[in-house]
Amino acid sequence: MKRKFFLKNHSELPLKEDKSTFFLEISVGVSVFLFSIALAAYFLISLMICSWNKSIVHGLSVQIMPSQEVLTPEEELLYTGKVIQFFEGLENVEKVRLIKDAQIKKLMSPWLGQNVDISSLPLPKLLEVRLKSGKNFDYEKTARLLKETAPYASIDNHGIWLQKLVKSASSLKMMSIFILLVVLVAAAVSIMFAVQTSLKIHQNIIEILHIMGATDDYVAKQYGKRVFVVSFFSSIIGSLFALLSLLVVAKISSNLDAGLISSAKLALPHWLFLMSLPLWTGFFAMATALVSVKRSLGKMM
Amino acid sequence: MDTNKNMLTEPIVDMQNVCIRYGEDPEILSNIKLSLDKGSFHFLTGKSGAGKTSLLSMMYLALMPSRGTVSVFGSNIGYASRHTMAMLRRKIGVVFQDFRLLEHLSAYDNVAVPLRIRGMGENEIKKRVKELLSWVELDKSMDKICSTLSGGEKQRVAIARAVINRPEILLADEPTGNVDNDIASKLMKLFVELNKLGTTVVIATHSKDLIAEYNYPQIHLENKTLKIIPALRRVS
Repeated sequence: MKRKFFLKNHSELPLKEDKSTFFLEISVGVSVFLFSIALAAYFLISLMICSWNKSIVHGLSVQIMPSQEVLTPEEELLYTGKVIQFFEGLENVEKVRLIKDAQIKKLMSPWLGQNVDISSLPLPKLLEVRLKSGKNFDYEKTARLLKETAPYASIDNHGIWLQKLVKSASSLKMMSIFILLVVLVAAAVSIMFAVQTSLKIHQNIIEILHIMGATDDYVAKQYGKRVFVVSFFSSIIGSLFALLSLLVVAKISSNLDAGLISSAKLALPHWLFLMSLPLWTGFFAMATALVSVKRSLGKMM
Repeated sequence: MDTNKNMLTEPIVDMQNVCIRYGEDPEILSNIKLSLDKGSFHFLTGKSGAGKTSLLSMMYLALMPSRGTVSVFGSNIGYASRHTMAMLRRKIGVVFQDFRLLEHLSAYDNVAVPLRIRGMGENEIKKRVKELLSWVELDKSMDKICSTLSGGEKQRVAIARAVINRPEILLADEPTGNVDNDIASKLMKLFVELNKLGTTVVIATHSKDLIAEYNYPQIHLENKTLKIIPALRRVS
């Protein structure tokens, strides 16, 4: 039984005893850690850009400044209703929503604290207007008409500053792609280095195998299997550290949520993909090792 | 050239005007012409440094000639692909003077290597390897790691590994050098039996006793050249 198990996993090359294995474990583990972080950043930035783009295209905010005349709450309500009616009457508007005081309080809490009665403050009323499509929406004309209907109301087109935000986030996204590529190349180089070192150590055994009729594939497969196993297990550790770090960052950022801009959260498919990285790493490392070994064997006997 | 009783017309190894040199050093073999027919048996003789190992290396396709052409099983090795070379090597069994065993593996696994390379099933491998190791009296040592075996045991493992595949050519460098007379005689019997079954055998040796006892033709290397010394009488 013992022999049967051994034979199923037989390898003529003593790769388990290679000193280069330790180097491979460390480099793959660290690479997967960095790759996971960079990939998570890429996902988050992409999600945020997507969400901001939706806001640019599909939404606008309306502020109703406190009146200079003293209005009763009923008059204030009527004034707000007039503005809502104005927007609901526009063809391209899908939905108009009045931001509740509780939500405004939450938005302002980072600056004003939790125990402030905002009804005593001259804060503007806020409306969130969802558009069917922002592409053909004439902001200038709407603003002019709104001024005529309700002079204290104004459109806040946050698309302008969101666009700037999208632009800078896009460059961050490009940077995360660049980091991903750098980590990938670094991992491939370290795998090739480890494999080349091992090939030099076992050159004599490989020569004997060749003399007995082993093809390059036969030898390369032994390297491929070994590199897959080593990379898979070391990348599980790198991946675990990365996931823990991401969870900590997610926890911290949820506490810092100021609500000014919509933040993004990784969805289940993103987490699943991040968790599957050890498997992809194993295949990537195996493919790299196979190519590298075959190229080197081609120069041998 | 001389051949023995099992010869057929087509040479299994054919060397034409072959020269061997290492780097910029002078040639160690010059203008070698040699044809080995299927089923032939030769001793390879010559002083140390005469080029016996180099000639054997060329036969088991580990060394390319500096000049000339070498054909093995009808394939010119100068033009053969790496895959073809691997397939040709599978038909050749080699016993090295220094054994060249995989020291970290057991005797069993060393002997099993050529069969695994061929992709044979483990049950068949087990049957064949056990049978052969038992024949060379190593059945009790088959699970021992090779680095722990004695010189004689290693030599028997090396021979078992070379013949397990039932090769078409068997090349052996001093195969009886480290074993006692009884085992040496048994191993030579094995080579003779394999030869009778059609295996072409070349044995490099310094042993005059062995050459006299078995009286096969000799490939003799001297002064960079090769000459065939015919057998005096046929082996019955």
